[in-house]
Amino acid sequence: MTEHTTERTAPASLELEAISKVYGVTRAIDEINAQVPAGEVTVIVGPSGAGKTTLLRIISGLDTPTTGRVLFDGSPIKGVPDGLAMVFQDYSRSLFPWMRVEDNVAFPLRRGVEKAERRRRVLEALQAVGLEGKERLYPWQMSGGMQQRVAIARALACHPRLLVMDEPYASVDAQTRAELEDLLLEIQTRLNVTVLVVTHDIDESVYLADNIIVMSKAPSTVQEVIRVGLARPRDQIATKEEPEFVHARAHVLRLLRGEAEPEAATPDDTLEVGV
Amino acid sequence: MSAITRDRAVRPAPSAVSRRIRRAGSSAILPLVVPALLVALWWWGSESAVNGLFIAPPRDVLDRTLSDFLSPHPGDLFLGEVARHDLVPSLWRAALGFWLAVVVGVGLGIVLGLRPVLAALFQPLVHLGRSLPTPALIGVFFLLFGTGDWPKVLLIAFGVVWPILFNTIDGVQGIGTARAHVASVFKIPSRDVLLRIVLPGAAPKIFAGVRVALSLSLIMMVISELQKAKNGLGYLLVYSQRNFDYPGFWTVLVVLAVVGIVLNVIMIQIERRVLAWHRGVTAQHD
Repeated sequence: MTEHTTERTAPASLELEAISKVYGVTRAIDEINAQVPAGEVTVIVGPSGAGKTTLLRIISGLDTPTTGRVLFDGSPIKGVPDGLAMVFQDYSRSLFPWMRVEDNVAFPLRRGVEKAERRRRVLEALQAVGLEGKERLYPWQMSGGMQQRVAIARALACHPRLLVMDEPYASVDAQTRAELEDLLLEIQTRLNVTVLVVTHDIDESVYLADNIIVMSKAPSTVQEVIRVGLARPRDQIATKEEPEFVHARAHVLRLLRGEAEPEAATPDDTLEVGV
Repeated sequence: MSAITRDRAVRPAPSAVSRRIRRAGSSAILPLVVPALLVALWWWGSESAVNGLFIAPPRDVLDRTLSDFLSPHPGDLFLGEVARHDLVPSLWRAALGFWLAVVVGVGLGIVLGLRPVLAALFQPLVHLGRSLPTPALIGVFFLLFGTGDWPKVLLIAFGVVWPILFNTIDGVQGIGTARAHVASVFKIPSRDVLLRIVLPGAAPKIFAGVRVALSLSLIMMVISELQKAKNGLGYLLVYSQRNFDYPGFWTVLVVLAVVGIVLNVIMIQIERRVLAWHRGVTAQHD
């Protein structure tokens, strides 16, 4: 297979064109139009039951939309696109407890990547997430945060062009969460990969994002797309003190509570009109 | 400080040590108490005027077991005549039936576990097979497969396959959609999905079923040899009883017990190795 053997290539872009999803008589997603620009961090945020997970399954080719289509680098996806890797919410279920860390990370590479190269990529990916020397451990011998780092390393070892993360930090404690957020931003910059994160944590969405897609309750639509212009590298304390952070955070919260109308125009340049 | 309090202050150390020794000693001795009582009861029964006719004394049974089942000749692999004539054929048939059941049970269990439609289709048949008491089918097996080794092997396999089959289906279905998503997102080839996700994921349940099947296979082994047999431990039980050879009858029970214990120990050792990760995971969650 070629997708694994190619060297790291340009980050991928993603377009969602009039996506809807109906389960029987339930309309989970009404209509979603959105763009995930190449080389940026896009965060989808929405209330519980907003169909975020459904949308993510459609984006990653695990499920098909009732109408509409997903364009990966401009061409419609059929199944899971090559170059997409995913970090799942629950590390205890997404990692395999019967495999050592190195085997977990190497597992997706078993097809099409020869052994020496596999080994090199595993070590490289583990180093990127700060887990060098841990390759002989089993996941259950590690803390939750370390296990999620293994899951991130597994995705990175595939040399993805689009990294999709489904509530990646929902099952770790606050301290670890902050560390992993910084790790993600650092990796994203260094490896120049497109990142799409789904979260229900508003602070996290603003902290991570270049773009925030705010979804409504089901049947979901895009309420607004917010452009976040906070400088990189970001800092857990300083960035969160900036007026722009505070403003964006409050705005997202109001949107989710249904108290704010999507802003048509704002004095603040960083808030742009949504789709 | 008075002499009394000083005495109390000094005391705990040696008493703690002796308590530990006592505890270690008792943990080694306690499990032996009941078996020793049983042997005593056995001996007492063999001494009684009426029952003594049927109950051979433990000492005689031990001597007879050793002389029947062990031999000083390396050419016979140190197996006595009875061992060669009855024990080996018995174990051979039991092993064949057991492994047949493992292969069929795990193979079929994985297919049914992965394909809910097939599982639903075959559910009534599987429940029927499980509910039938296998010993009742012994005649059917002799009718279908003659009187040689095969009806016995197949009867053992049929009798023990169910716990393996049910546990494999259960284990496969319990692996969960999260792992299935990982497999499809990372485009894991189906061979790897089968051998590196499904099989190890279901292994804890499969082993639980196999352990039940192992002890069940000894039961089925004896039952299959009670009729139309020319050798085997089950045959020996009937034969020795009919010939009023009570020490011989008791040796068979002793050998069956030893075989059962040895197989169980082997099973536990294999399980410890293969499922080390599972013990690690469950220890984490405790």
